[in-house]
Amino acid sequence: MSRAWEPLLPAAMVGTDRQAGPLPTWPGEVGQLVAQVTAGDDPAANALRTAAILASCSLAGAQGESWAGPLPAPAGDETWPALGDAPLLRLILWALSDGPARMHHAVCLALARAGHRLPAALVPQALELGRRSLALRPLLGPVLGERGLWLAAQRDDWRYAAGVGQAGADEARWTDGTIEQRRAFLANERGRDPAGARERLAATLPELPAKERAELVAELAAGLSDVDEAFLDELRNDRSREVRQAALGLLLRVPHAAHPQRAAGRIAALLRHERVLLRKRWQIDAPAEAAADWKADQVDATRPQHESLGERGWWLYQLARQVPLAWWAEHTGLGPAELRDWALGTDWAEALLRAWRDVLFAAPDMAWCEALLEAWPHKLLRDDPAAVLALLPLERRERHWRRQLHNDQVDLGLVVSRVLAACPAGETLSADLSVDLARAVRQRAELGAASAGTLRQDWSLLQQLPELGGVLHLDALAPLADLPRPPDETPSYAHHVQALTQVIALRRALHSFVTSNTP
Amino acid sequence: MQLTMEGVLALAPDDSSAKAARGLTSPAKWPLLGADERAAWGECQGSGSKPYQTQVDFNGPAFRCSCPSRKFPCKHGLALLLLRAQDGALFKASDAPAWVNEWLASRGEKAQKKEQKLAEKAAEPVDPQAAEKREAQRWQRIEGAAQELQRWLSDQLARGLGALNPELLRGWHTMAARMVDAQAPGLGQRVRDAADGVRQGEDWPERTLHRLGLLQLACEALSRRPVLSPAVQADLRVVAGWPQDKAEVLAEGERMADRWTVLGVAHEERDAKLVERRVWLRGERTGRTAWLLDHAFGGRGFEQGWIAGTGVEAVMAFFPGASGLRALAVDPLGAPGAPHWPMPRMADEWQATAARVAACPWVSWHPLVLPDAVPVRHGDRLLAVAGERALPLAIGDADTWALLAASGGHPLQLFGEWDGRLLRPLAAWRADASLVAWQRSGG
Repeated sequence: MSRAWEPLLPAAMVGTDRQAGPLPTWPGEVGQLVAQVTAGDDPAANALRTAAILASCSLAGAQGESWAGPLPAPAGDETWPALGDAPLLRLILWALSDGPARMHHAVCLALARAGHRLPAALVPQALELGRRSLALRPLLGPVLGERGLWLAAQRDDWRYAAGVGQAGADEARWTDGTIEQRRAFLANERGRDPAGARERLAATLPELPAKERAELVAELAAGLSDVDEAFLDELRNDRSREVRQAALGLLLRVPHAAHPQRAAGRIAALLRHERVLLRKRWQIDAPAEAAADWKADQVDATRPQHESLGERGWWLYQLARQVPLAWWAEHTGLGPAELRDWALGTDWAEALLRAWRDVLFAAPDMAWCEALLEAWPHKLLRDDPAAVLALLPLERRERHWRRQLHNDQVDLGLVVSRVLAACPAGETLSADLSVDLARAVRQRAELGAASAGTLRQDWSLLQQLPELGGVLHLDALAPLADLPRPPDETPSYAHHVQALTQVIALRRALHSFVTSNTP
Repeated sequence: MQLTMEGVLALAPDDSSAKAARGLTSPAKWPLLGADERAAWGECQGSGSKPYQTQVDFNGPAFRCSCPSRKFPCKHGLALLLLRAQDGALFKASDAPAWVNEWLASRGEKAQKKEQKLAEKAAEPVDPQAAEKREAQRWQRIEGAAQELQRWLSDQLARGLGALNPELLRGWHTMAARMVDAQAPGLGQRVRDAADGVRQGEDWPERTLHRLGLLQLACEALSRRPVLSPAVQADLRVVAGWPQDKAEVLAEGERMADRWTVLGVAHEERDAKLVERRVWLRGERTGRTAWLLDHAFGGRGFEQGWIAGTGVEAVMAFFPGASGLRALAVDPLGAPGAPHWPMPRMADEWQATAARVAACPWVSWHPLVLPDAVPVRHGDRLLAVAGERALPLAIGDADTWALLAASGGHPLQLFGEWDGRLLRPLAAWRADASLVAWQRSGG
């Protein structure tokens, strides 16, 4: 508001009855005008007339505020062209606002492969998606372009994406980059110079927050060897539990490392090979009391409050999860499936199976995955087997799914949900399995309205259709591209089938865009 | 016809219609799609046994659909235009079926009849004496109300604004109601606005004085109305809230034919079910600005569709008044094409605004094109910095980020509504491109 009002305020606020003196004067032409119309002797009327002049003159002269400072630096020059293909853009706009998360990944991956960025209008929406999805963040970086970096730096909850531009020097990505950029930088260096990467990390580690320490330490998994042991051993004493867990997990994979060997020694002392009748049998007993040297090796003697295991079971679980799976086979001469059956027959089944599953995530082993998946002990391991299944290579996973698909006892919706749960974004199924799945869905859609198991009555399958469209092989999508649309379709059927059609159109469009934009 | 998805969606009466329309943009839903140079038509499979017949006349665009929806335009009409914007090749049929031809013909007839009726009405001698008498009576009542308001304003200043408390403010609302009773609802609204602004924000005393000052000006002008020019009298009529008869404007208003670029469209929800739409146009040959003000009730939508960033050949009939902004677009409108963005100098824009205030200080929104403006976040405000001036923007959160993304810190041409304090940006474009770079999405 202009300062022109200030002289009028005292009289206007306390009232001209109490402050009846003459009004102040204003300079210039406005002042002359005020003087001219306030010649009368009614102070209230004079104040009102002054207000009338000030109001219209300030309105006529208003031109905002003056700006003398420099403008903030604009976004840098883009290296990649913005996507301009209008039909593809429309599908992407749909995917970002209404499509399944899997398609967000697909869009980012495809654009990056084709060397294109999102147009500016879509950048805020993409940043917002990354705010909610950690998994999407590493893929967003390249396709946001310089405009995205520039915008992300201006808002706290988008700052995750405000790193170093594509033109930035490599080293700057390590010193000033986002956590995604630093991870990528470290992984790259680890591939070229494992020791150099480890030393770089060791030098920076004290300055980093716990979460970033844990994420960067995980990058050492590639190219792990004996020479990393000393560093990892040190990290076992990190302030953060996350970092300690990461270090312990990596140590399980270092051949001959001392820590897992000490752990194996403790388990060996609890195992006995006893003769029962004519057969020799392995027996295990949980520790009877906590040992003094456990603490130094990250075994926590205090059982957490809501732990389902008893105190001794808790101790055994902790000891067992520090032992590589291979040791069990060597020590007992039993295979993974035999060990599984043996453990289920002991008093300590939950402690052992939970420990093995934990070790499996730290150091995946295909035979052990298969052994657990073959007879998933649902009572003991309450989490979903999908995470273990996801450790297997696609071809092995598909064998599981195919078995379920051809098993009439297993509902199609359930099979699809298992496929989706253990198939990370960015991966697509083989053509063979895709054709089978697509055909199965199509059959359900073509069943008459009255028959059982028809798609329109199967809400679980229906709502998974758009995502399924995102994992099937591109060549297998045809039967799903034009599912029958009965005239009496329900709104939910229309919605999901329409979304599937959109997903398929988007996948095809992305594919041809990538093909035409890669040499 | 130049169509963009955003432009079409901007025609939707509400968000749910826009969303529903997007869901209908699958060609599979449309067993028949056709178009010629005048119109697009299609049959959309709905929940009934017979498909809906949907058609859009590109002039306007105007919609018609056989569905029972009360929304206007309905989702089918919007979806049809969206499909057209998406992929014109889908519209395979080119011979318009009878139901399309009939409608187009009837639209043409209707427009003709409307013109005829207007001409007849204008020619009709409707007892001019009686009309004059009625008019004189209403002026008398308004002038009486203004005298009362004048005394009341003096009382407020004599007592002082600092003494205002909720009880005294109830008196302001009583005064507003008296203005309505005296057939001067416009004055009543200004009193109510002044009452609502008391103790709102740090500078409320200045802003309240500003409002009272403009009321004072209105009272003084009304007291000597007969000696004022017809244009100022017409403005006073608007300030009093006595609307001009639209038919009269169409019949007698100053007419101007031009190709009009739609600079921006603002939607504002007034009451629960009343939506106000302000469309700002700039004539490509004349440089004249025209302002269309429409209201729609209960999601009924607007008869004429205006899409920001398009150019439309049309005749405007201007309302009388010294500001010369408000107009009615005379049907039929041309089909929207590429815009011809104005590139004014900042100084000329300020000059035009000042001249408009001088001619009519009661204009609430001044159309303003800011050339080469950079949106800058400054504390919790968004400023448009152009040269050495910075205009605070009235803009919501989502629009803030969309506008920043569109600019990237580089200058844009920004159009908005200026109230002397804040600029309400409606659209932005780049100097070297005809497409809209950004347009306001929220209210």
